[in-house]
Amino acid sequence: MECGKKTVPLREELWTASGDQAGLIGSGCTLCGEIFFPKKKSAFCPHCQHEGLQDATLGSRGRITTFTMVHQQPAGGFYKGPVPYAYGVVQLPDGVNVETLFTGCRPDEIRTGLEARLAIEKLYEEDDGTEVLTYKFVPTV
Amino acid sequence: MKPPGETREVVVAGIGATRWGYYPDRESYELAAEAIIDALKDAEMEWREVETAFCGSVYQGTGSGHQAVREVGLTGIPVVNVENACSSGSSAFRLAYQAVASGLHDVALAVGFEKMPKGPIPSTAFRPTELQMGFNVQPANYALETLLYMEKYGATEEDFSLITVKNRKNGALNPHARFQKPVTLEEVMNSRAVAGPLRLLHCCPLADGAAGFILCTRKKLRSKSRAVTVAASVLTSGVYGEAVYQCGMVDSVKFPPAEGMVEMSARKAYQFAGCGPEDMDVIQVYDSMAPGELWDIEKLGFCKEGEAPRLLREGVFDINGKIPANTDGGLISRGHPLGATGCGQIYEVVLQLRGEAGPRQAKEAKTGLCHTMGAGPNSSIIILKK
Repeated sequence: MECGKKTVPLREELWTASGDQAGLIGSGCTLCGEIFFPKKKSAFCPHCQHEGLQDATLGSRGRITTFTMVHQQPAGGFYKGPVPYAYGVVQLPDGVNVETLFTGCRPDEIRTGLEARLAIEKLYEEDDGTEVLTYKFVPTV
Repeated sequence: MKPPGETREVVVAGIGATRWGYYPDRESYELAAEAIIDALKDAEMEWREVETAFCGSVYQGTGSGHQAVREVGLTGIPVVNVENACSSGSSAFRLAYQAVASGLHDVALAVGFEKMPKGPIPSTAFRPTELQMGFNVQPANYALETLLYMEKYGATEEDFSLITVKNRKNGALNPHARFQKPVTLEEVMNSRAVAGPLRLLHCCPLADGAAGFILCTRKKLRSKSRAVTVAASVLTSGVYGEAVYQCGMVDSVKFPPAEGMVEMSARKAYQFAGCGPEDMDVIQVYDSMAPGELWDIEKLGFCKEGEAPRLLREGVFDINGKIPANTDGGLISRGHPLGATGCGQIYEVVLQLRGEAGPRQAKEAKTGLCHTMGAGPNSSIIILKK
């Protein structure tokens, strides 16, 4: 992130803080213990149907369970980041899987089982130069 | 669900379909009307005998089934449009089946039709953030699952490339298929990377087209010799905790499901039909991406987990094999007209059970199964019996 650039998050309440302190925000059920990411606006738990979901800050390190390298532009014009890109699933020790983009390493270095840490990074830049930030994971290669 | 003894027998009296292809000069309702009229003729019935219509499509918009029915004739019957992603056609078929099985109607129409938008499938079965993060690429969704399958069972890229080779070989025998040219293993493995480990020829092409059916009670049948009974039509729309990357769903770490969605739909269908995988003489399995056919075959109970690649190499799933799979070339040759795909599968199995599949006819085909998957998620199983 260049100094002085205007930044906006892709969506509010996906993560808290920044830098090393950053953590994803999920929802945890006070009855069954299930955890969801992203957080749910409603308190209703779709696992046990109890109305007891509360915000939970999730750990910032996990393990890669699966990944792929996408070589084509996704349909619909929703995705404005670079192509190709790597994405996959990271399992956090809190007991939740998170679908995520990967960054910070060569695509051929990504492996299942690798540890990965959370990073808040640019997804794309708006026409006026504003950087749109999102969460990604950096595989520890 | 009521047991079979408490519902009426439903038969497929007539079938109709367009060729699967690219129709820049025809509207989707024209394709659908062609399939409906063909199905009527095949059933030897008059349009006025049809009491209700269910029309499956994904991209044709509001009232699209009504437009198709208008081309055949408005007679005051209820027309219901069914959008259920890749299972839209199967879901329309199930509703028509239910209408007759329940005793509410004696003759029902089911049609699946589609004209596909150009380029990759613009799925909206994702949450906004998932769309913005680029998670909505169907081959990539399957790639995540493929990697897990490969790591768990030691399957290789060559294993699922052989699915493409088999299905394109079958497609070459199907005059309705979009692709009617076989491909070699080398061609598949050298095609361009789409989403590692998946390449272009592991992905089904898109297609336009339509297929329709007249369903009725046995009493209403004109030609009893060609009738095929619907032994089961089951739809399972997701189970808690199972990953379905085609709609941004990840596995629950804490509460994994006791039974997966496909396994549940298969169990319920076998139970209702009073038969099992060992009774199937021909199957249509969901090969939108080549590796999907491997785990589909396993989840439907045709072999143990991880065994499909070996059996494929042994020829078990060839047209002359023990369990002929995707005899018409599957989605990989036929193409994927989303809302019509399930109906394309049913069309093929009915042909097979009637013994009308020509050079791709499976031997002694008395019972067949169609499995449609897709975003939502959905898993549809239809079992047909001669």
